[in-house]
Amino acid sequence: MKHEILKKQGASIVVFTGEIDLESSPAARETLLKCFEHTGNVIVDLSDVSYIDSSGVASLVEALQAAKKQGSQFALAAVSEPTRRVLELARLDKVFTLYDSVEQALENQA
Amino acid sequence: MANTPPASDRRNSQMFDRRRATATSGHLELLSKMSGHLAVTLNLEETIQKALDLIVKFVKAEGGALFLLEDKFATLICKASAGPVDIRGIRVKSGEGIVGQCVTEKSSRIVRDVQQDPAFDHSVDDSTGFQTRSILCVPMTVHDKTLGAIELVNKSTDDGLFSETDLLMLQTLASAAALAIHNAHMAEELVEQERVSRELELATEMQRSLLPDTPAAPFPVSGFNLPANEMSGDFYDFFELEDGRIYFSLGDVSGKGMDAALLMSKTASLFRCLGKTLHEPDTLLATINRELCETAIHGMFVTMVCGLLNPETGAVKLANAGHEPPLIHSRDGTFSALPASAPPLGIMPLQAGDTGIRNEAFNLDGGTLYIFTDGVTEGCLEDGSRLEQTGFQDIIRERSELPAAARIEAVVSILSDTGRKRHDDITLLIVEDKRSGLDNHIASDGPGMIARHTFPARADALQAVREVVNNACETCGCATETATDIVIAVGEACQNVVRHAYGDHEEGDATLEIYCEGGILEFRLQDSARPVDREKIKPKWPEELGPGGLGVCLIHDIMDKVDYLPAPEGQGNLLRMVKYIKRKDNNET
Repeated sequence: MKHEILKKQGASIVVFTGEIDLESSPAARETLLKCFEHTGNVIVDLSDVSYIDSSGVASLVEALQAAKKQGSQFALAAVSEPTRRVLELARLDKVFTLYDSVEQALENQA
Repeated sequence: MANTPPASDRRNSQMFDRRRATATSGHLELLSKMSGHLAVTLNLEETIQKALDLIVKFVKAEGGALFLLEDKFATLICKASAGPVDIRGIRVKSGEGIVGQCVTEKSSRIVRDVQQDPAFDHSVDDSTGFQTRSILCVPMTVHDKTLGAIELVNKSTDDGLFSETDLLMLQTLASAAALAIHNAHMAEELVEQERVSRELELATEMQRSLLPDTPAAPFPVSGFNLPANEMSGDFYDFFELEDGRIYFSLGDVSGKGMDAALLMSKTASLFRCLGKTLHEPDTLLATINRELCETAIHGMFVTMVCGLLNPETGAVKLANAGHEPPLIHSRDGTFSALPASAPPLGIMPLQAGDTGIRNEAFNLDGGTLYIFTDGVTEGCLEDGSRLEQTGFQDIIRERSELPAAARIEAVVSILSDTGRKRHDDITLLIVEDKRSGLDNHIASDGPGMIARHTFPARADALQAVREVVNNACETCGCATETATDIVIAVGEACQNVVRHAYGDHEEGDATLEIYCEGGILEFRLQDSARPVDREKIKPKWPEELGPGGLGVCLIHDIMDKVDYLPAPEGQGNLLRMVKYIKRKDNNET
């Protein structure tokens, strides 16, 4: 897994690429939580994530909880098919805010 | 010395006897005529009127009236009247006037001069212009119960006085009339009872029609309901969804009366109607609960289980609101209970999900699910003891090879052929996993094995395992989406070995074997770590948000069967996961 952080319209955009599994999820978790060291919305671009397991999903849940605590928005954008499948199976697709693209997520920022 | 009456008196007496004899034969004739009328009457009012006319004529009275007690014996109402004034319909309070006193005191009266009798009520005379001089009044009683009275007024002979003979005559006639009236009332009650019981029969029939028809074998769901009375407070239902899954439900309404039966009908209808569109048992129960709460009947509630069976995979999703835990009888013979996650319906608002009504997902894996009401476990046996869950389990265990109908028959007959009055409805629903070939496990060293991969139980080894799994799925020709799911499930299982089985400081290897035969894709994951706590590997999502709980949930959701096999060398854990696959070339996913 690789990651990249962009800043756009005051929001942090985290772009993950590759597989988020038990091996890489600690890094994913760290990256996400770091974004909440400063206030601001966080958008995660999941378009190039080919696999995510429960530990990766747990990182996303933890980030969502951190955002709620801080009063920021946390959204998933351009969710890849394999990722969407896991979120559905975990019944979390309704828990997260999902956008078709990063642009759409940015437009919907409060 | 004996008192011998003078000769003239004796003559008088003989004449009197003759007169009495004539009078008596006249009486008898009248009596038999009236009794005959009264005994066969279909129109009571007409017969009473005829009888009164005959009496008035025979006794030579100017008029007469027959009163019946109504309004719970508080009022006398004139039902028949003879003579110059028709007083039908007038009302006299029980205990008032001569007729009223006659009735409350249950005694006859001859009043020779009404003006001298303080009890006489002038109001009728005043309103009708009739002048009452003398009265003969006799109560009508049957078995000590007073029904009313017959009153004759103004004897039309010279002295205008009623005699003791008239009194005897009227008393005899009053008895016959009372009996006829009593019989007529009983007949009316019978007709009413008959009407009510016919209504009840229709309601029973209506209610039975709410239960599903017995489908042709080998349908995996069967049920039975035996009400204790005409109407049942229990229900069960099942129907097939378009996608082939079967929705089933069983409920028990608190209470036993007609109100419970009506609430049962309402709940059963809600299930059938809402179940067509709401395909999550927890959501369905929450929605039914909302409807029941909206029109809550004080103190009434419904315990209910509903679930979905996928007959192709044996997977069941079930939600339980306050109902006695259903039992799963596994293929290995063990029983496990599924306790309720929520209170009964109709009491308070409930959400579907973690905090309210929760779905339990499991696979029957060739086993059978039993859902029943407390009428089964609390039902009485011949010796008066209760069947209890243990007795119920014994019946099932002994007959596990027999068809479901035979098991139902056995439970019902042991509870109903006891010679005792049953107090509760017996309702039972059986959900079976009827897939064929469940016992055809793939031989572990047979030709079915398509891959074997040993890997160090470390996070960085997982990607390679997923690749092996993905390739195996492709080899078997399973559809891409199914392959994606399988990779997720096996990935989670391997992850659990890495995370839990060895702990933080141990290291070891794990081996994944993949078998494919027919439509069965089987994965065996063997580790050599200490045995896992089986409780921990039950799906608990979403109670536990941690990745472990979620991972187990994903495995159970995706796989059709998940179980632990005895480890070959008695060491470590051997997890088996089975997926029934559809081939890509069948153009199905």
